[in-house]
Amino acid sequence: MASDGTIQEQALDWAVRAGDPAFADWEAFTLWLEADPAHARAYDEVTAAVTDAAGLAAASGPANDDIVEEYAPALQAAHAGSGPMWLGGAVAACVALVGAVWMFQGERRDLYTVETALGETRAVTLDAGTRIELAGGTTVVFDRRDHRFAQLDKGQALFTVRHDEANPFAVRVGDKQLVDIGTVFDVRHDDEGLSVAVSEGAVQFDPSGADVRVSPGEVLRSTAATYSVSKIAPAQVGEWREGRLTFEAASPAEVAAQLKRATGIDYAAAPGGSGAVSGSILIAPLRKDPAAIGPLLGLSVEAQANRWVIGAR
Amino acid sequence: MTAESSSAGLEAAFLDNREKLVRFLRARGAGEAAEDLVQEVWLKIAASSPGPVASPLSYLFRTADLLMIDRFRSQRQAGARDRDWSDVNAGDPPGVSAEPSAERRIAAAQEAASVLALLDGLGPRIAAIFRRHRIDGAPQKTIAADMNISLSTVESDLRVAYRALAEWKERAP
Repeated sequence: MASDGTIQEQALDWAVRAGDPAFADWEAFTLWLEADPAHARAYDEVTAAVTDAAGLAAASGPANDDIVEEYAPALQAAHAGSGPMWLGGAVAACVALVGAVWMFQGERRDLYTVETALGETRAVTLDAGTRIELAGGTTVVFDRRDHRFAQLDKGQALFTVRHDEANPFAVRVGDKQLVDIGTVFDVRHDDEGLSVAVSEGAVQFDPSGADVRVSPGEVLRSTAATYSVSKIAPAQVGEWREGRLTFEAASPAEVAAQLKRATGIDYAAAPGGSGAVSGSILIAPLRKDPAAIGPLLGLSVEAQANRWVIGAR
Repeated sequence: MTAESSSAGLEAAFLDNREKLVRFLRARGAGEAAEDLVQEVWLKIAASSPGPVASPLSYLFRTADLLMIDRFRSQRQAGARDRDWSDVNAGDPPGVSAEPSAERRIAAAQEAASVLALLDGLGPRIAAIFRRHRIDGAPQKTIAADMNISLSTVESDLRVAYRALAEWKERAP
């Protein structure tokens, strides 16, 4: 096929030029193709090789990403159906990914999921200025094609986001949207609801609904229908990364959920328990002695089978 | 499709340039199928409902071009698969084809690894430009601005990558 070097050189040129979303000279391209049927063939060879390679590289995860190897087997491609599936089995997965990549205009997402086990943390770097740190028991969905998007399915993550006015970073949490305004912010999403704490910049919460601006030193808490904004020391935002948790008038259920996420130890709240828990703790000692949480936060602790049930004293 | 629909601009461009597209598809190797494929181009666009498009004509041609690339790839891969399967399953009864094997999945993973190694072997700048352009879909001009290099550097880097990948494909079809 490459016996005619000149044709292949020309095909390379056209593949580079016509492959750019800004390319407009389709007239000249048509003329070149019409000049010799071998031109189309040479162009096909180049573009098919490039498309195959891009699909394989994309399937292996984003660049500059320390999660690539570890998460490759768990990658989940989510995309709209894109025409007939010509290929069976193993290749189909690759082709589906390519299908998601091959429309440059990008109306499709190409999603993958990063999960942490309870008691584990993990950092994902999306680009030079954008880093997401996942607390334990957390699931975040990213888009290979859109590094300005993340979806927090459950758990807690600290977002340090490069601000780009023209292309703000958006976090989807349940049915709510968060949009950064230049930012370090922590998002938590669990059975107790949604909370957004900001240490730098600002976050716009639910721009299409409540549309609340959360400023540095503020934490917004939201349940099904309501939200409230209160103060938080900026240093506390994301402090879980250093193994510290701070509670202010939190319910035992909230405390149990956060402890479980941070330590991997099965904490639970006593049923029907209420009360407001306040205090700041280091979690490392709890790994050795889960019951130590009692005196630290003034809670009752009871060992039941393999879990630790906490309640207001 | 009514005139009010969001794809009205694209539809008008399609109707105005139908002949050009057929001519392009024919030159692209569609031959007799060009008329059918031009329909397929429109169905693809209608199904994806891209919303407002900056340059409808380019969008149409691009869709047609990608359709042809995909056709070429699927035909070639179907051919390769038939060959592989008849090699592996020479003893199977006629008309019975086995599922792709574990070896095939491992082969796909190895192929991905060799592509990544090849791209990285071209140097970090070329590999980064290739990823930004072909995987993230960033325009060449944007990449040039982001990386503070000239557009022609981006083009020539992509050309190096494309050549290497075409040769890689020739070595291991």
